[in-house]
Formats: sequence, C-alpha cells, structure tokens
Amino acid sequence: MHEFSLCQEIVTAVLSEMEKVGSPCRLIKTTVTAGKLRQIVPEYLTFAYETLTKDTIAEGSTLEVEVVPIVIKCLQCGWSGEVEGNYFFQCVECKSNKVEIMSGKELYLKNLEVEKDE
Amino acid sequence: MSSTQIKVYRDLMGANAEWAGKTQSLLKEKSITMLNIIGSPGCGKTTLLENMAKPLRGKGIRMAVLEGDVETTHDAERLDALQVPVSQLLTGGSCHLEAKLVHHALIDLPVDELDIIFVENVGNLVCPAEFDIGEAAKIAVLSITEGEDKPVKYPLLFTEAKAVILTKVDLLPHLSFDIQSCLDYIHKVNPHVPIFQLSSIGGSGMEEWLNWVMGWRGDEKKDSSSS
Repeated sequence: MHEFSLCQEIVTAVLSEMEKVGSPCRLIKTTVTAGKLRQIVPEYLTFAYETLTKDTIAEGSTLEVEVVPIVIKCLQCGWSGEVEGNYFFQCVECKSNKVEIMSGKELYLKNLEVEKDE
Repeated sequence: MSSTQIKVYRDLMGANAEWAGKTQSLLKEKSITMLNIIGSPGCGKTTLLENMAKPLRGKGIRMAVLEGDVETTHDAERLDALQVPVSQLLTGGSCHLEAKLVHHALIDLPVDELDIIFVENVGNLVCPAEFDIGEAAKIAVLSITEGEDKPVKYPLLFTEAKAVILTKVDLLPHLSFDIQSCLDYIHKVNPHVPIFQLSSIGGSGMEEWLNWVMGWRGDEKKDSSSS
C-alpha cells in the first residue's frame, strides 16, 4: 500500500498548485502520470485520493492515472520499443540484456482541470 | 462556467528525494556507508545483522542499525544486546520506510563514531523498493524457505538491488528448493548482480559477503575522495 503515502504527496502538490491559481475555482480532475515500473495500482490510488481530499478544496474532484508503458533501447543492436510489464529486460531483436530503460519510471502530477466562475 | 486545464509537471517523489538528499550529504560528510536491507518478514534480516556485528568489530568497522518495524522493539533489543548502536523506527502500520523518518532516526545515532549503517527495512518485498532513503545500495535478502521464483514475482526489488543474499542455506538438505533455478531467476531480472549464499547461524558464506561490504565501502570512499 505505498499508494497511500504517494497519494499524500499528490494531494499536497494539488493543494499548493490550487493556491497558485488564486481566483476562485473548483477542481474537477487531477491527472497523474505513472510509469508501469512504479508498481502502482490505480484503483488503490483513486481510493486514497477520495479519502485524502475530504474536507479540502479538492473534495469531489476525480483522479485520473495515466500509465506510461515500458520502452527499452538495446545497447547492442539499437532496437527500441515497448516491452511487457515484466522485468526481463531483453532486446526483442537480438536477445541481448544490455538495454537502457527509456520510459516507465515516470511519476509526476501532470494536469489539473479546474472550473472557473465567470 | 468554463473549464481550464492547468499543466503542472511536478515530481511526486520530490519530498522524499529531498530528505534522501539530506541524508546522503550527512553520510558523505561523516564518511559513513548506509545499506538498505530489504526482505520478507522472517527471511533472516535481523539474524544476519546479529551475526555480522562481531566479525565487523573484529575488522575495526563500527556499525549501527536503523531498525524499521511496524510494531514492537524486539529486533532493536536483540541488536542492543550485542552492543550495536541501534535506533528503532516504528512505522505504526506503514509497510515501508520513507526518507524523512530515516533522516530523523539517523541524526539520533552517534554519527561521528560510525563507519557503516544498516537500515533494516520493514519486512516486505514490494513497497520498500519504491522509496530511496539516501542509501548507498539496496540489498535484497531472500531465504531459501520462501520459493525460488520470488525474484520474478517481486522484480522491482531484485532489479534495484546491488547485491542479493540467499539466507538459511544450511536448510538446503531438508527442502526441495532448487537453488540453481533461483539464481537463474535473480539473474534474469538483474543479470550481473552478485549473489551471496549464506547461513547466518552456521557462518558459511559470511566472509564473502563481508568482503563485498568492505569492498563496496572502499569503492565509495575512493569515489567521494576523487570528486
């Protein structure tokens, strides 16, 4: 359940970003980008989000988790592409395990969708 | 009413990374190596540490332990009985240690009189691997009573580990554990990682592991003195 600690970071970040917005607005949706290698269960994260946003200005907003696939690049033959969510990092073409992980480790708050009163 | 998108791109491990960074600077200043010991409940982490205390003392290395548990101070008491400086971290339910908690426990240790600190993380193969705590290396501990395929079932830890320790190898004759297939699984997720097969109680393999620890510490010192 590292999702709960992580969600605390998300909510802290969201609230501080909302403060920067200044003018009165309502948060509709928070989008978080998480690489597949982060072992995050989106359902746990959204559950934690609901709990942790209670009684804050973010209450009632939803959390969307965008999962980034694992992309590797072979240092032997140069092949690059998406691999499945396991850790047997091996080049699909030449089977070398000298590979570099290009994506899949991301973890950041990406976007806030807010509704402003006009 | 109109809806607006606000682009943020804010790192979510930022706060943890900040505390880990503070810990790293302190360790560098004091020339201390910190290793993060991660494994399941009951895999033998505390027994390993208990049995390292004496030989390390014999080599003139001053060790301390940061003991992470959900509840109780039992493990800290075991190490304290061996005159190892120990600081107990109780997470009160959380399944892993985070950098902030570790940093605060660290400054409670006599850091001017230490060479190496072992952090015994909460018994768990999943979450501790996600959180850097300012350590020089994560060490995965797996006992041979747990099953050969744990490295591929919990791959993140075994991918991140700079060394893997297989404990309780003295029980091998009594188990159907296929050690070669376990070694293959480990190397599948981390092709070049050193693996130490040891028995903390019987003592076999301990010397090789301690030599690795000493070598790792030496390399680290060389790195920091050259920078």
